Amino acid sequence: MPAGLLIFLFGLFPVAFAFFVSLHQWRRFPGEYRGLAHYTTALGELAYVVFFWVAVGALVYGGYILYRQFKQGANNLLALLPGAVNTGALLLFINWFVIVLPIILNIPQRIRGQERVQGIFIQELLASLRDPAALEANQWMWLGILAAVVVSIVWWRLSRRRDGGEALFRMTLAILFIACAILTFQLTASAIQAEVTAAQEAGGELAIWPQVIIISLGVVLIVAAFGLWQRSMKLDDSRRFMAQAAVALMIAAAGYILIAQVPPMLANADNEMLRGFNITVMFVIGTVPLQLGIGLGLAYLLFQNIKGKAFFRVAYFLPYIMPFVATSIVFNILFSHRPTSPINQLMTTLGLPLQKWLLEPTGIFRLIFGDGVPDWLVGPSLALIVIILYTAWTYVGYCTVVFLAGLGNIPNELYEAARIDGANGWDVFRRITLPLLSPTTFFLSLISIIGTFQAFTQIWIMRTPAAQSSVDTVGVYIFETVRNTDPNMGYASAMSIVLFIVILIFTLIQNRVAGSKVFYG
Amino acid sequence: MAETARPLEIPAAEAQQTTPRKPIPWGKIVSYAILIVGLIQALLPFYWMLSSSVMSVTEVNFGYWFPSRFRFENYALAWEQANFGQFMWNSVRITGITLVGQMLVCIPAAYAFARMRFIGRNVLFGITVATLMIPHVATMVPNYLTVIWIGRLSQNLLGFGWLNNWPSLTIPFMASAFTIFLLRQFFAQIPEELWDAARIDGAGHLRFLRAVVVPLSKAPIMTTVTFSFIGSWNALLWPLLVTQTDDWRPVAVGLTKFINNEASSDLHLQMAAAVMMIIPILIMYFFTQKQFTEGIATSGLKG
Repeated sequence: MPAGLLIFLFGLFPVAFAFFVSLHQWRRFPGEYRGLAHYTTALGELAYVVFFWVAVGALVYGGYILYRQFKQGANNLLALLPGAVNTGALLLFINWFVIVLPIILNIPQRIRGQERVQGIFIQELLASLRDPAALEANQWMWLGILAAVVVSIVWWRLSRRRDGGEALFRMTLAILFIACAILTFQLTASAIQAEVTAAQEAGGELAIWPQVIIISLGVVLIVAAFGLWQRSMKLDDSRRFMAQAAVALMIAAAGYILIAQVPPMLANADNEMLRGFNITVMFVIGTVPLQLGIGLGLAYLLFQNIKGKAFFRVAYFLPYIMPFVATSIVFNILFSHRPTSPINQLMTTLGLPLQKWLLEPTGIFRLIFGDGVPDWLVGPSLALIVIILYTAWTYVGYCTVVFLAGLGNIPNELYEAARIDGANGWDVFRRITLPLLSPTTFFLSLISIIGTFQAFTQIWIMRTPAAQSSVDTVGVYIFETVRNTDPNMGYASAMSIVLFIVILIFTLIQNRVAGSKVFYG
Repeated sequence: MAETARPLEIPAAEAQQTTPRKPIPWGKIVSYAILIVGLIQALLPFYWMLSSSVMSVTEVNFGYWFPSRFRFENYALAWEQANFGQFMWNSVRITGITLVGQMLVCIPAAYAFARMRFIGRNVLFGITVATLMIPHVATMVPNYLTVIWIGRLSQNLLGFGWLNNWPSLTIPFMASAFTIFLLRQFFAQIPEELWDAARIDGAGHLRFLRAVVVPLSKAPIMTTVTFSFIGSWNALLWPLLVTQTDDWRPVAVGLTKFINNEASSDLHLQMAAAVMMIIPILIMYFFTQKQFTEGIATSGLKG
């Protein structure tokens, strides 16, 4: 299936490839192995903590799948064997792949300068497959695959279960997760060890392990506090108070640990990237609620038997499908710094001072409350605010349309029942519409968060040299790293992976938090 | 200078939108008023874009709302200066190849996922849908490297490279997980009896797909075509990465270059160029808007 191949090549494989690249010095072609160095450049010592936790997460997830399997049936204990063999085969395959990949990737460099003959590329390809190291790994791989196939078939025959294939798949997945966790852990540990030894040789002391453990403790505390909070909701009054006091205490302790320990670990991090993350988070926090709120309001109004509903819908939707490039330029000019630009005309009419808008790097709270605002409280710059407004403007129509569809799915009887009970409009909205709309809201916020995290076009167009440092998100920073005349692909990949992990964490948190509130009717 | 500034003044009407009122007699009027305010905020930038595209530079700079005279020569000028003919042609070619390729790849794939039974079908489909959740940023760099490498390969084998050429701009987008997902949902609903009838008539999977399934699913196919058309026409990040000369640059990149270099102070020309870029999208949208918004709504709920 060509589709499968393409999706694999450009959809899934890249994540693994990115990780592989991020471990190397890499310009346009692979260079030397550099371990986690790119990650420490990006994140400082916090990188170790992150990797430690990725490993722990994979371990827990693998364990969880195993646990669920065992709860379902006892004869699954046997499935551990084929699962383990399959994982082994997969790892051997990956091992072979990792050995062969750089050799293959270097072919264009090796044949550069030679005359261009049709067959030469194929020759090189075959030659690189016959590389001694690759050949050995290859043999191991085939051995592993053979063993995996045999064991799987034998197990399948013996178990005689209808869902045997699925159980096998889950087992393999679980053990694969655990194996990956162990490998990641080993990678992290060896990187930390190397660093510590280097520091000792230089005569210093480096306390990475204690730091990792302390910060992990903080994270565990927060997670535990969240769990306790959820449980406390079910308790009676007096106990609930105790539990909530404990939650508060735990959060305070965790907060203290994190605030005290994280900044020194970030001391060696890439400041530009950290700023990028800061901006990205502000951007997301500013955009998503705005567009969801306005979208919901418009959809709710449109839903009330409005004449010309279709027309409104079409019009609202217009900004969403227009090329971002074109509409960004319009906003560029609408919000230009000239005193006669349309928005500044509006400001004059309203009796407000003129603004430089996109040229203004100063934080918004400092603009409102004067220079007394401390540095960490200045908030998004005015330029970023304009970009937030623009982004919300484009997505409002999309939110409206999806909300409208969600509203249409709410059965009419509920409204009628509420009306008979004498509920007023606001009550109906709060008690019926919002809860029943929660799956739509959840979906939309998920899509919006992922979308805004990777926003690029509007920022690329609307950034000005004057305010550049206050609007460049991580995405833009990664792009700049790749487009550089001396591109550092390894570093860019490392940042991509970090961004991916951050989005993943955001999604997971949102899943947990919203999961308890979403009501599937 | 900024002591008392309140730069972000959300209009009162927008704040009210979240507090709907209903049974009051004049509630309807308020609703309409708010909806119309919403309409204005959605459309005003477009009005401004159109009107300033026929103004002179000074009029744009002074923030006029109506042109004193319609200067349609702006369009000709922008077209000329931005080398827009080339970019438009590129965009048309890129979009066309992407769409054709996507249909050729995705329709059979969606069909296989919906109606054929093979080992690991559900797992594969799950993986396909899961790729939708991976952000582009995470895959951008490795995809770039992959394209560079495959480009060298085809340079040597077939005699044309990928970078700065059509394959890098189109092939990565041909297998769209979103299209496959959308089409599969529809294909799965086609009644089984049709397939039985077709089989009795001696048709295989391919023939059934061509003669029955595709004609039946014109509407969802049109929806996905519109989606992909818009996505391909509007893309900026990837084309910016993989093109170095104007030979294959799409309009989005061309426009970006135009506003940054040639016309950095000719605001009226920027507007004219922007209008020209959105015209194809507008046409497409007004022909398919019903299916399109419906497609968004259903896919939104199912996704």
